[in-house]
Amino acid sequence: MFGFFKNKYDNPALLEEIRQTEEKWFVFLDKLETRLDELCSAAVPELIALFNEDSDPYKRAHSRMLTGLMGQISQMQQKAIEAKEEHIIPFMHASSAVLPDLISSAGRKYHDRLYRFQMACFDRHHQFEDKVNEGIAALRSTEGNADLEAVYQRQLTEFERIKDKFSCKQCGGKLILQKMFFIATYIQCPFCQTQNTYTPSTEMQMLFHQARSLAEQRTKHLLLIYEQSRPKNPALYQQYLRSMFDEWNKITPDMLEENERFYQRLLKDHSINHY
Amino acid sequence: MHNTEKNNTQSYLDRLKKQAISQENYGAEIKYDEANIQVYDCPECGAARALGDGLTVCAYCGYQFMTVKLSDGIHIKKGNNS
Repeated sequence: MFGFFKNKYDNPALLEEIRQTEEKWFVFLDKLETRLDELCSAAVPELIALFNEDSDPYKRAHSRMLTGLMGQISQMQQKAIEAKEEHIIPFMHASSAVLPDLISSAGRKYHDRLYRFQMACFDRHHQFEDKVNEGIAALRSTEGNADLEAVYQRQLTEFERIKDKFSCKQCGGKLILQKMFFIATYIQCPFCQTQNTYTPSTEMQMLFHQARSLAEQRTKHLLLIYEQSRPKNPALYQQYLRSMFDEWNKITPDMLEENERFYQRLLKDHSINHY
Repeated sequence: MHNTEKNNTQSYLDRLKKQAISQENYGAEIKYDEANIQVYDCPECGAARALGDGLTVCAYCGYQFMTVKLSDGIHIKKGNNS
């Protein structure tokens, strides 16, 4: 009447199948991780070498190689997800469907085993994803080591050389550039009042777009101090941001007003808690 | 076996690197130009543009250099309209 004399549910074949599936999943992810490690450790020196060799200012060859490698890693991630969706999750559902009720003493042992299996498989997958993220971070760290300060100093020297070398195209009067321009600008001839159009060199124009990165390079020690603070100290972030914008304004003083608005916005965004 | 896999990885990386280098850059190569000065004379009468007369219309023959109305920018100001 209370089921005392019922035979206890016993299914050793299922236990063996769970063990084997778990083992296969672990071996599969181990293999993927080995391939991932191998790929990343071999690719990092190659990427650094390519970054240094690439003469293109936007380092496009380096970006292409990085994108190719990211594609490879993404395929590995996809394989793991597909295997989980095709073999692990359906197996869990199929096995759980044939087990006796969870609240019966007979079914409890199997449900517990299945739950442990699920947690072990999912945890292993999370570990794999962590490894993937570490690999991607290692590959990405190979970019952005260009010495912008040297480029900037070179352009300052170049400007000193050319600033009084131009003459008016209309009357031939001497023109003197009062400051370093990064975009095409009208220069008025002091003799005939003609508007001459001064176009800076390509490298000088590029500097306009590199100014923020250069300012960030100059103040990265302040960002590091903020990032290392525990808990994160907003006053240190503000100190970093102010210094970074001050440096940026020193490089491109014409953008002072716009930059100030951008500074205020970044500061405001930083103080908003995103949940 | 392990060495073979390493060789495969290396040869894959070599191929990828070669391909990345040889592929043509999207938007073509950067053309480096020197800094220069030019002047844009009126194509109708050949007169030069002077700031005092505004930059949008030729002060001599009325030729329109620009059809847009100038607004305040980094170097160009509203007052530069003819």
